[in-house]
Amino acid sequence: MNARVLICLAAVFLAGPVFAQSKGQLRLPEFATLADKASETVTVTLDANLLGMAARFLSNEDPEQAKAKKLVSSLTGIYVRHYTFDSDYAYPKGDIDGVRRQLSAPGWSRIVEARSKKENTNVDVFVLIDGEKAQGLAIIASEPREFTIVNIVGNIDLEQLHDLEGNFGVPALGIETGKKAPTEKTPTEKTK
Amino acid sequence: MSLSAAHPMPDSLLLQARAGDRNAFAALVRAHQGSVFSIGLRMLSRRDAAEDLAQDVFLQLYRKLDSIESLEHLGFWLRRVAANLAIDWLRRLPYSATQPLDESAEVAAQVSEDDPLMSRELMRLLGELAPHPRAVMLLRYQEDRDVAEIAAMLDMPVNTVKSHIKRSLTALRGRMIGAKLIDCEELP
Amino acid sequence: MNEKSPGNFEDELRRRLRPIDAPEGFAERLMAALPVEQKATVVKPLAARPSLRQFGLPAALAASLMVAVFLGVRVANDRALREEQIGIAASQQLMQALRVTSQKLDLAYEAVNNPPTAGEEENRS
Repeated sequence: MNARVLICLAAVFLAGPVFAQSKGQLRLPEFATLADKASETVTVTLDANLLGMAARFLSNEDPEQAKAKKLVSSLTGIYVRHYTFDSDYAYPKGDIDGVRRQLSAPGWSRIVEARSKKENTNVDVFVLIDGEKAQGLAIIASEPREFTIVNIVGNIDLEQLHDLEGNFGVPALGIETGKKAPTEKTPTEKTK
Repeated sequence: MSLSAAHPMPDSLLLQARAGDRNAFAALVRAHQGSVFSIGLRMLSRRDAAEDLAQDVFLQLYRKLDSIESLEHLGFWLRRVAANLAIDWLRRLPYSATQPLDESAEVAAQVSEDDPLMSRELMRLLGELAPHPRAVMLLRYQEDRDVAEIAAMLDMPVNTVKSHIKRSLTALRGRMIGAKLIDCEELP
Repeated sequence: MNEKSPGNFEDELRRRLRPIDAPEGFAERLMAALPVEQKATVVKPLAARPSLRQFGLPAALAASLMVAVFLGVRVANDRALREEQIGIAASQQLMQALRVTSQKLDLAYEAVNNPPTAGEEENRS
């Protein structure tokens, strides 16, 4: 994602009061049938109370944990549903459609729509804006053998979020190099 | 304690139970014991067997808590294990062990005050269904699960689930009409 | 029951098949049957505490008071340990969630900044 775009978004979203927990939170459907089919499942459900408890046990000495601690200080919820399968497209599209419908509600904007035919991956990133503040972030990613929904709720600092890149075992991809986007499209446009 | 939309169970309860909090585990049990016991009772037709089954299910849950990812998964897991265990027991227990101990009147009265005779007859007819269609009907009409979920719980094709529902409804309706418990109607 | 449509029969089935309460005391009997796990607790050994006999209390009362203090400390320690366990589990989940989030954001970045070349075939509709 273009560093300039992120910085602009971060400037809009930084600071401000913490909003009510329910705003920005998606209703994630029962994925119990998926969990049983999946070879690997990651399910995270952390409300404000649990996030507070989690933050207390993060180390300030560990750089990864220190960044995480700073990021979650203004969040009120993190919800992740991630499934890995042994065969291609073992998950029905209908499960994702229900979540997408919520993201077409007023306030939600898609800021990234990325399609890679080479990797057969689709990734959409949505943000819920209330006034001038972001209260929710949603990522829907589908790959042939993986399906992921991430929902982050609260006052989100996108600059801190993209600072996560390069950590957690993921190599840095040079967002800060000022790489020029192709002239015929912006980073938020569909890639074909 | 039972689950309701007005008082949803906090997700932290599952986390606490997984961390070894026995009170949290007990709360999860209380929230689901009615469903699990009822599946056992209507599958096995005996309260003592139903309580044994329910206890077995929750003991299994206690050992496998770490594999339960969410409250939704918990509900799915409990119903799946209860239904499949009941089917297994029905296959293995001698016939006499699964015959009602004349408790059906008490059970019927618990559920429906207006027509205990109809409820008792319905329970009897349900008990005459084979184990798999009986489990399908309970998961559908007692637990309000959709067809895809029932198929996943019982590891059977969706079309088989639909077929069980259709045939069982026809059979139950026909028998109730025959017993003059419901009015005649055009059957599909 | 007057049946005018199949849907009424299904509604009636739902009504008559509502879940029944488990027998009274079921949860308590189950909890009693659960295996007891030994968990490490931080408890001060009794021997480290000063004897209350030096204050002239009868032995039985002294013992009762020491038991009450011991139990109070144990309950507080159990609660603290439980909270610690929950907090550690939550922090592990948090790190896992942030890893997944980071991976997916990087996927998006990759797809946006490495578009397919003109010669690449369509492999998904």
